[in-house]
Amino acid sequence: MTEEYDYIIEFKNITKKFPGVIANNDVSLSIRQGEIFALLGENGAGKSTLMSILFGMYEPDQGEIWLRGEKVKINSPNQATELSIGMVHQHFKLVENFTITENIVLGIEPQKSVLGLPIVDIKGTDQKIKDLSHKYGLDVNPTDLIEDINVSTRQRVEILKMLYREAEILIFDEPTAMLTPQEIEFLLEIIKNLQADGKTIILISHKLDEIKQVADRCAVLRHGELIDILDVKTTSTQTMANLMVGKQISLSLDKEKNDPGKTVLEVDNLVIENELGIEIVHDVSFVIRTGEIFSLAGVSGNGQMEIADAIAGLIPVKSGKIKFEQTEITDFSVRDRTELGISYIPEDRQRFGLILEMPLSTNLALKSYYKEPFSRNHILQDRVFLDYSDQLINKFDIRSGQGSATIVRSMSGGNQQKAIIAREIDLDSKLLIFVQPTRGLDIGAIQAVRERMIAERDKGKAILLVSLELDEIMSCSDRIGVIYNGKLQRVSDADLISREEIGEAMMGVANNEQ
Amino acid sequence: MNNNLKNKNFLLRLLGDPKYQFISIPIFAIICSLIVSAIIILIVGQNPLTAYKGLMQGAGILAKDKYASFQGQPTDFMETLDKMTPMLFAALAVAIALRAGLFNIGVSGQMLIAGFVATITIGYSRQMSPFLAKPLVALIGMIIGALAGGLIGFFKIKFNINEVVSSIMLNYIYQYVFSYFINTKYIDPVTRQSRNIGANARLTLMQMEIGSYKMRIPIFFLVAIIVAIILYFFMNRTSQGLEISSIGFNSDAAQYAGIDVNRRLLHVMLISGALAGLAGVTYYLGYQPSILPKSLSSIGFDSIAVSLLGNNNPIGIIFSSFLITVIDRGATYMRSAAGVEQEIAALMSGIILLFSAMGVYMRQKFAALLGKNRMRG
Repeated sequence: MTEEYDYIIEFKNITKKFPGVIANNDVSLSIRQGEIFALLGENGAGKSTLMSILFGMYEPDQGEIWLRGEKVKINSPNQATELSIGMVHQHFKLVENFTITENIVLGIEPQKSVLGLPIVDIKGTDQKIKDLSHKYGLDVNPTDLIEDINVSTRQRVEILKMLYREAEILIFDEPTAMLTPQEIEFLLEIIKNLQADGKTIILISHKLDEIKQVADRCAVLRHGELIDILDVKTTSTQTMANLMVGKQISLSLDKEKNDPGKTVLEVDNLVIENELGIEIVHDVSFVIRTGEIFSLAGVSGNGQMEIADAIAGLIPVKSGKIKFEQTEITDFSVRDRTELGISYIPEDRQRFGLILEMPLSTNLALKSYYKEPFSRNHILQDRVFLDYSDQLINKFDIRSGQGSATIVRSMSGGNQQKAIIAREIDLDSKLLIFVQPTRGLDIGAIQAVRERMIAERDKGKAILLVSLELDEIMSCSDRIGVIYNGKLQRVSDADLISREEIGEAMMGVANNEQ
Repeated sequence: MNNNLKNKNFLLRLLGDPKYQFISIPIFAIICSLIVSAIIILIVGQNPLTAYKGLMQGAGILAKDKYASFQGQPTDFMETLDKMTPMLFAALAVAIALRAGLFNIGVSGQMLIAGFVATITIGYSRQMSPFLAKPLVALIGMIIGALAGGLIGFFKIKFNINEVVSSIMLNYIYQYVFSYFINTKYIDPVTRQSRNIGANARLTLMQMEIGSYKMRIPIFFLVAIIVAIILYFFMNRTSQGLEISSIGFNSDAAQYAGIDVNRRLLHVMLISGALAGLAGVTYYLGYQPSILPKSLSSIGFDSIAVSLLGNNNPIGIIFSSFLITVIDRGATYMRSAAGVEQEIAALMSGIILLFSAMGVYMRQKFAALLGKNRMRG
């Protein structure tokens, strides 16, 4: 293949401003055909904005985009698709009750003529999708419904969507944020296959290991500015991390031995059914004491999220008891539990944790708005909301365009998460439930959340941590329970169990059968 | 050129900035519809300005050239307010439900059941003192309306029946069941409507002599305005109002925050129904004295669009219900004064409501043009 151009994509002096924030400031980048190019930066550094500009979702305030040696103006994602650019978003855009094939062809449905009428030809396309899927090792069954397949498969469907549209430039926005370690390995393999086939890949990430593993070059963005472009092979992850946050950061966590006290939460023989009446949690029992972090480790979808929801009162239990400081709370309402002293940082922060259309100040008071001093005789006290919000913004370093008045939807994912954590910690509850607290956050933010969690433990709080990341479990926990298929396989002190043993239990190898 | 760009930016700032959109977008929608309506009037060969003037004269905003005895601009204006009262109550009923994410399309049915029950219980008891009858009519209207609204809420939270489906079905049931009773028991053989209620129970005082005029006095007009203000305060300044908005935006997050979502939804439908009931009694026992069988009042449906035009904001709805009523009421005079068929007025309301329904789209579009769309990164 010969090209008359040096670079397939060139960003020339791109500037994009949002109210109160400069998302991209005079960014110039050039990407070669067939390379894996990583964009590294903290939350809010402007990575996604830059890619959204390339994908036609935003118009830059200044600057030009050149594609294959020609200046282009990309006004919509459809136009980007025509220019063979494809993007896998962080939040998938799939129709739940359609099959994989139907989702892939949506918008460009292949037609055949039956009795002179145009009919969508799904059957014929299934085979085509299957072949495409084999070619890149994507391994999906085209006739499966989206609602029946897991996150990793859904992501592969998104990749197939791009390939089906013959995309040559593939953008991945934080593709590994929601995947298990095995799934991540699998995805990185797929990305390498795509590169081998001549595709150009842009990887937005803040996971240094992954970038190190697959990327050729890497651009570091900080506060909307391009800091440096690095050759990944010759640069250490520590250097990348320092460039990303702009200061020396430590990648290790200081944690002293804990000193657990009396039991705060007691879960006895908990059984939970899903909406279809299928038992997804079987007979789970554990306790959490003051001053300890108890983690539930496991692969996604093994019942751990449901246990957290049930303790918080969001879903009913079929049988079993939940006790909080000797009081049985199994039938308590969500609010009663909150008032007793349970804080909950949910997995899906946009669906449960926040009301995106409302301002930050309201969201920060979402669990206390009805109490004095926020409400007096049911009348909301705006001043109190604002003062409280300003206080939390300072204390937890929540960054947003317009402070307390910012509509939460416009904030970056990391700052949304900070807002939830600020609210829940400030309730001063005796039990804190953290579910996937660092999902989608950058290194600096992850470190801050974990340190905060350990600080709360040291203050004598009882903490339940549910995480899919083994690193997080290993570095934060005092005790670890491993869950597989709705059953608690093992419970052990953190320093008495190895990473490998957890991994085995996660895959269903029972301890006593070894 | 530069200046031109600056002007454009000024207009765009007004329309695109979320801070001003609550007022700029409805006004923009109204201006657009006036222009489109003017074009239609031009096409039928009439002068739009004369037509608009006729509308205003008919509604009592401008003075007509001549009046019959005891009639005058104030007479017309009071009649406009009389018709606006049920529209305002109905639109408030829609607005509070929409705030919680519920689409109460059954306002017409709730108006009818409230109006019917109040008519047969109090409306025909001619010897009752007006000081007792009138408050009782309002009270019965509210209670019956609340029960009818609450029923929809109950279906929703107990059996998960979509409120749109249940309210449409209930609309039919009310319409035909009450027609049956009106036709068999309460019919006036001449008018083919239910017999007129007594003046003692009517919520509009008729033929009141004030100065040299004989006019209507809608007793509940001021009540409606006060209710709108209270509702504004309730929706925006109280903890219950915040809970209702939270449910409307994201009921999962509301539940997570500890809000009893089902209980609140039931409350909202009770309030919405009570407001629809007040619309019912101020219409069937106020603006008119009787019920036409086998029909639902169009107010219940127009109120959905009036609420949208008013941004679902009770204060905005005071203005939007006034505007729509003025167009409706001025239509007859517009025909005689400007020779424009009165159906054109209905067309104008339709166009305004169509543009106002596009308000959400326009908000986002203008905001996007201004670059105030959401930030990622």
